[in-house]
Amino acid sequence: MLELKKVGKTYPNTVKRTLKDISLTIEDGEFICIVGPSGCGKTTLLNLVAGLEEPTTGELLLDNAPITGPGADRVVMFQEAALYPWLNVLENVMLGMEFLKVPKEERQRRAMRYLKMVHLYEFAEYPIHQLSGGMRQRVALARALAMDSKLLLMDEPFSALDKQTTNMLRAELEQIWLKNHKTILFVTHSAEEAVYFADRIVVLSENPGQIKEIISCDLKRPRKIDDEEFIHIRHQLLELVRKEVMKFAKEEYDQD
Amino acid sequence: MQKKNTTRIKKVLELLLFLVILIVLWQFFYFLGVDLLGLWKSYSVPSPGGVAISCMNLLQSGVLFSAILKSLGRGIVGFAMAIILGVILGILIHHFPYLNRNLKPVILGMQTLPSICWVPFSILWFGLNNSAILFVVVMGSAFSMSLAVDDAIQNVPPLYIKAAKTMGAGQKELYAKVILPACVPSFIAGLRQGWSFAWRALMSGEVMSSTIGLGQTLIVGRDMADINQVMLVMIVIILVGVVIDKCIFTTIENRVLKKRGLL
Repeated sequence: MLELKKVGKTYPNTVKRTLKDISLTIEDGEFICIVGPSGCGKTTLLNLVAGLEEPTTGELLLDNAPITGPGADRVVMFQEAALYPWLNVLENVMLGMEFLKVPKEERQRRAMRYLKMVHLYEFAEYPIHQLSGGMRQRVALARALAMDSKLLLMDEPFSALDKQTTNMLRAELEQIWLKNHKTILFVTHSAEEAVYFADRIVVLSENPGQIKEIISCDLKRPRKIDDEEFIHIRHQLLELVRKEVMKFAKEEYDQD
Repeated sequence: MQKKNTTRIKKVLELLLFLVILIVLWQFFYFLGVDLLGLWKSYSVPSPGGVAISCMNLLQSGVLFSAILKSLGRGIVGFAMAIILGVILGILIHHFPYLNRNLKPVILGMQTLPSICWVPFSILWFGLNNSAILFVVVMGSAFSMSLAVDDAIQNVPPLYIKAAKTMGAGQKELYAKVILPACVPSFIAGLRQGWSFAWRALMSGEVMSSTIGLGQTLIVGRDMADINQVMLVMIVIILVGVVIDKCIFTTIENRVLKKRGLL
């Protein structure tokens, strides 16, 4: 269980990307999506949970223990794959487990299992630079899954990919999640993606970044994006975000 | 592959042809200025033929060969010492902000100092011997190495480090498994530059000393008023420097870059 208690983050000398009074409890096995206008602090929130940044106020607890820094129980998947070009596919997947001190044979077995899961079994020996963007992100997914962390943090992992690849990867991630029910915190700017995945959608407002609304989303899985209910929730969400963007744009406009 | 090889041969041939043109021009101007018009004295201007004869003589007596070997050996030892010192210094100025703010500018200044300026110190402290030359070499290239190391670590993509941290990498693992391998390409580029500094510094040192080596052979040429020998040694110094650069550093660099898909 992840608990955020009145978490706030301000940066000296800037007004943007601040977070204020974020309180949120995430149960084990939940898929949570965070959406909001760009610059509202979605990524900052994720970084706080990852331990890459420290909150200015409030506290974050994972299973009742405070989060003090980055750790392998909260693996992050970034917008870019963050793979190491001097290692091949298999070695990249194995590296995370090496930090966890998993014995070598076990590392190899687990890496192969997860590579199979993301359909890259045959590419195990390939150098990273020969993979496409989508394949790289799948390797990153395999690496993250193989770590078997309590929490999987995803920071717009598919946003740099083309539409078709994104759709394919979404379906893959959904399949995997339906099997292992990991707790996932997923940042996205795409309403469609949020409705596709989330048990609950956290909508952030802009400046300061606050929780505007939490939308529960209990559509049947696997979800279809042309389903009537799907479209309805997506519209509702889009409208919320759009209002936020407009409000902020207006404020900015009025200042001039 | 076949095509790659032929373009490569073409390039080499083109370069060789250019060098031949240079030599022909040289011979032409020598003929014009010395033989025909008498503008210059033959003892102050080298000629291609004279250099060739000088080369034959030095090869026959074995002087050239042993000078190259001695200089190379000395250069490699001095360069190795410079690498060790440079890497340690580089890591220090990267790791400690205080040193980064204050020692780094000093090192930057030291690096701009031509290595020959260290010669008086080296002779005072070590005498006219091998150690004195090694000192000049180390001073000539260690600073450039340390700046290269600092730069290499600086340029590791932050995402590599962030990703490793969120996978639970400790400080030691972070250095061993991520930062160090990520540094390799720019480190090799640094080595290459360091070597060119070391080789130049070596010649400054050798010119001053009386131990066997290319620099000393060049000075012997001057003392005997044999301008052809001076020219010959200059050419050999260039050739050895280029061969080391191309055969060792460029080869390693290409291999690393290719493996990472950067070439």
